[in-house]
Amino acid sequence: MSTRRYRLFQAVIFLGLFLFLIAKILNTQLLWYINKRFIILTEIGIVLLLILAVRLFSETRFVRKPHQDEEHDQHGDKPASINLWILSIPLLIGVLIPAKPLDSTAVSAKGLTTTSALISSNSSSHPFETESEQRNILDWVKLFYFENDLTPYTGQKASVIGFVYFDDRLPKGQFFVSRFILACCAADAYAVGMIVDPPAGTSIKQDEWLQVKGLVEVGSFDGHNSPLIHAEAITTVPQPDQPYLYP
Amino acid sequence: MASITAPRRASRTVLWLVLLGVLAVVLFSILPFSLFIELGPKLNLFATVFLGIFIEALPYLLLGTLISGVVEVFLDRDQIGRFISKRPVPAALTGAFMGLIFPVCECGVIPLTRRLFHKGLPLPAGIAFLLAAPVLNPIVIFSTAAAFGWGTMLAWRMGLSLLIAVIVGLVFSVEQVPSSVLHGALILSPGHDHAHAEAHLSFGSKIRQALLICADEFFEMGRYLVVGAMLAATLQTFIPQSALLAIGNGPILSVLVMLALAILLSICSTVDAFVALGFVGTFSFGSILSFLIFGPMVDIKSILMYLQVFRHKPVAYLVLLPFLMSLLAGIAFNYFAP
Repeated sequence: MSTRRYRLFQAVIFLGLFLFLIAKILNTQLLWYINKRFIILTEIGIVLLLILAVRLFSETRFVRKPHQDEEHDQHGDKPASINLWILSIPLLIGVLIPAKPLDSTAVSAKGLTTTSALISSNSSSHPFETESEQRNILDWVKLFYFENDLTPYTGQKASVIGFVYFDDRLPKGQFFVSRFILACCAADAYAVGMIVDPPAGTSIKQDEWLQVKGLVEVGSFDGHNSPLIHAEAITTVPQPDQPYLYP
Repeated sequence: MASITAPRRASRTVLWLVLLGVLAVVLFSILPFSLFIELGPKLNLFATVFLGIFIEALPYLLLGTLISGVVEVFLDRDQIGRFISKRPVPAALTGAFMGLIFPVCECGVIPLTRRLFHKGLPLPAGIAFLLAAPVLNPIVIFSTAAAFGWGTMLAWRMGLSLLIAVIVGLVFSVEQVPSSVLHGALILSPGHDHAHAEAHLSFGSKIRQALLICADEFFEMGRYLVVGAMLAATLQTFIPQSALLAIGNGPILSVLVMLALAILLSICSTVDAFVALGFVGTFSFGSILSFLIFGPMVDIKSILMYLQVFRHKPVAYLVLLPFLMSLLAGIAFNYFAP
């Protein structure tokens, strides 16, 4: 590959990554991949990608003369064109494979917890102080993990949003309403969930997004006290723009 | 010559694409349809995890290579040798802390170390720099803190990486000259000292040159990030974490599993803290610490790069000494500070 074509290919990849990330920010899908607080870093990256793309496009204008190319080749430090193909892979994967946030398939691979030490204690939200109906799934799970005496919380009203995950270890008819917790990116995500005891005759599907309202009880999962909702009302909701919760 | 080989290479690429297409068609017709239905969600999971790691790492990689390009163009490396003592201990210590000035990750540090040897850097300093710089540099300090907070994990990671780098640097001080551990041909290769050769250039031209170096280094290092992220995403998609937990139990075995992962995943040190975060809860503090110390020093990609720069015996030392010390550190933590 001539130096000029190599530069052009590099520029196209930088431009492609630039456009890809811009699109992901505009349609909020970036939140499916990384924690909200790292978006600023991605924005810095986007600016650098554009600068590099422009720089390389301008470089292709200067190495047009063929004898210059050959001179460059004889230096023996010509960059390997395999790099270009490998750096095209993220773009190909991003464009060809339909984007989807982590779902029940990911729960099967990464596991789900109802009481976990994975949850850092130095978090910003205070599940104990918030109104019971304002708590999200992570708040309830934290509360059940950190509180020794759960009696004040049983019978409290809960209203949470999450996706459906059926687990074989639950009694028939029950399911999890769960959310993924993301510290940095999709690679470190893990799922938390609350057991739902639905009213008779409820029909729901795996991965469906629900709002579950009802009274909280102490349930049991894997030998641990786990939050369980005696559901009074279950409504399907659209998937939130921000599908994950942050620890 | 390029005009003859280029079409031949292009036709070979086409041949491969055709072969791949045929293979895909054959697979589609032979394998049961249900397998693809099952693979669909797995593919989505793979793509999400892969893009997660890649998008997260991209800004760090871009900033790292940009700084590297700026350093390359604006710093005259002829002066570096003069600032560093010839005595082993001060040399190794200085080398280990040089990462604070040259913020490179493990992909960039190897060619840079070779260039610095050529500029008269003492051997212990170079080796300590090689092993410590991927961790003891501002970008990695920031990313580790972003993942684990400004706490014990960060402190132990920095402290132990420094210690191991200095010890290995001192081991290498028994050799008098770099040429005894480096491949001969490489030492003689005239380094492109951009700062020296282009001292007459204007500021603007230097910036343009730095951006070009940044782009090339991004592609050189980015390929290891892509391959590493693909490996990590594949592992996460097909191996449930519960299976890993099953192998990785116990104070010694868990460290070995994490060290093996550090080699296999080959994740850039600027982002490995985020990946390690995913193992919190599955693995103990000691095992994750050993992963964070060892990963930046040795993994698949750096072993390949070491072999191109160093002779075989030094590479064995560069791999085994950090391995044993990281293993020891991890096990010690598991026993004494569980």
